[in-house]
Amino acid sequence: MNKISGALTEINKLNSTAQGSSVMHRLHPLAKLLLTIFYIAMLMSFGKYQIFGLVSMSIYLFIGFHLSRLSLKEGLWRLRLILPLVSMVGLANPFFDSHQFVFGSQTLNAGWISFITLMLKGIFAVLASYLLIATTSIEQICYAMRLAHLPKILVTQFLLTYRYLTLLLEQADTISQAYALRAPKQTGIHFKVWGTLAGQLLLRSIDRANALYDSMLLRGYQGEYYYGGPLAAWNKKDWRYLVSIVFLLLLLRLLPWSLLYTKILGGKFL
Amino acid sequence: MSHIHIDIQNLSFAYEEQQPILQNITLHASEHEAIGIIGANGVGKSTLLKLLVGLYLNFSGHIRIEEIPVEAKTLPLIREKIGYVFQDSDSQLFMTTAYEDIAFAPRNYGLPEAEVERRVTQALKLVGIQHLRDKQIFKMSGGEKKLVSLATILSLTPDIILLDEPSVALDPRNRRQLIKLLNSFEHLKIIATHDLDLVLDTCQRTIILANGRIVADGPTQELLTNRKLLEDNGLELPLSLSRK
Repeated sequence: MNKISGALTEINKLNSTAQGSSVMHRLHPLAKLLLTIFYIAMLMSFGKYQIFGLVSMSIYLFIGFHLSRLSLKEGLWRLRLILPLVSMVGLANPFFDSHQFVFGSQTLNAGWISFITLMLKGIFAVLASYLLIATTSIEQICYAMRLAHLPKILVTQFLLTYRYLTLLLEQADTISQAYALRAPKQTGIHFKVWGTLAGQLLLRSIDRANALYDSMLLRGYQGEYYYGGPLAAWNKKDWRYLVSIVFLLLLLRLLPWSLLYTKILGGKFL
Repeated sequence: MSHIHIDIQNLSFAYEEQQPILQNITLHASEHEAIGIIGANGVGKSTLLKLLVGLYLNFSGHIRIEEIPVEAKTLPLIREKIGYVFQDSDSQLFMTTAYEDIAFAPRNYGLPEAEVERRVTQALKLVGIQHLRDKQIFKMSGGEKKLVSLATILSLTPDIILLDEPSVALDPRNRRQLIKLLNSFEHLKIIATHDLDLVLDTCQRTIILANGRIVADGPTQELLTNRKLLEDNGLELPLSLSRK
């Protein structure tokens, strides 16, 4: 399977996962969307040396993965694409951060702490997003976005971009297979035909996208996306979940984690 | 004149100037009719269907669906009356599951969710695919997708059904099922296809297009057994007849 087919399989797999029936799947999409945004905001609010507080935030992920019956291992496996990027961003910290963390006779370059903090923020944010999209279909996410009063045009763009992505990948897959069948001794696509193939890809995917848009128009689409599935009604369990998780996250955020450094570890930043 | 009908007067259309696709088409289609539109590649069969649902509006002449002229402001009404099934089901289906796709149109027309549910269930039942209700589109076979495509248009209870090459990519069993299904629909049906045997099995009337014009319009049995007429217009006798 080539990389494009692999990406398509991943998207389809994610769509399948989102059709599950766990407690998390049955929660209202707006509750999940708001919690994800709130969680990421909480993560971002931690300072670069507040590693213990940040680690405590992982509880949200454990609860989410447990309730959704998703595999944490699989979630972590999906991080492989984003992890190098996150590492690159924070890699300079150990070299340019001149602060030191001293505990007892030990001294640690604080840059390493800020590097790990940055990594954790990235990993947790991606896992939280994965938790959202693996338990909520794209239609439900768009519905939640409209309920949150996000502009119609933005939600439509989001939905159509997602649809276009699949189309683009399908067309790219077809083109690359057709190329591979007629260029059996090549491992990739020769740079001389990159331009032609990119042009073909664009034209074909625009054609397909137009056909899909026609299909939407013919079925009454006028720029507003309606969703009225079984999750349309907000009920008590959604409130309970939303309030308890927000309360838990706020509590963890407000705990005096710095005392752990100073009182328990007996350390300080210099 | 019956309530459900299509009236086309002097219709001409070109994607680009100087390259007319359809020229001076005039035809009338009435309630319960099943009409096959046939012709060689590129004669404008699909274009004609697309014009009927207003996907292109820069045509000359008149198209009236149940006395409503096809123009920008009447499109929502026209599209509620006509169901259009695309040649490629992958171009027609865009939601995650069959239910969501079939519910898309009724929701857009503002029907309450209970009514949407009823319409979806009814459409699934009409096509005989209740078992596909929650199946994801990408996991479906070509035949299943075609049946779901049909259900997506039936959820709006249209008066008229347009089908563009409905039997393409269907295996013999699915094709047979489709023919049976089409014959069970009492709608006004227009089928643009190269599958002349399908026309023979489903349509009482046939229109032959050539060079953007109607060259013949009459009973299917009469037209599809006329070897000379078919061959003069880039066609051949249906397979089932050519073997006899």
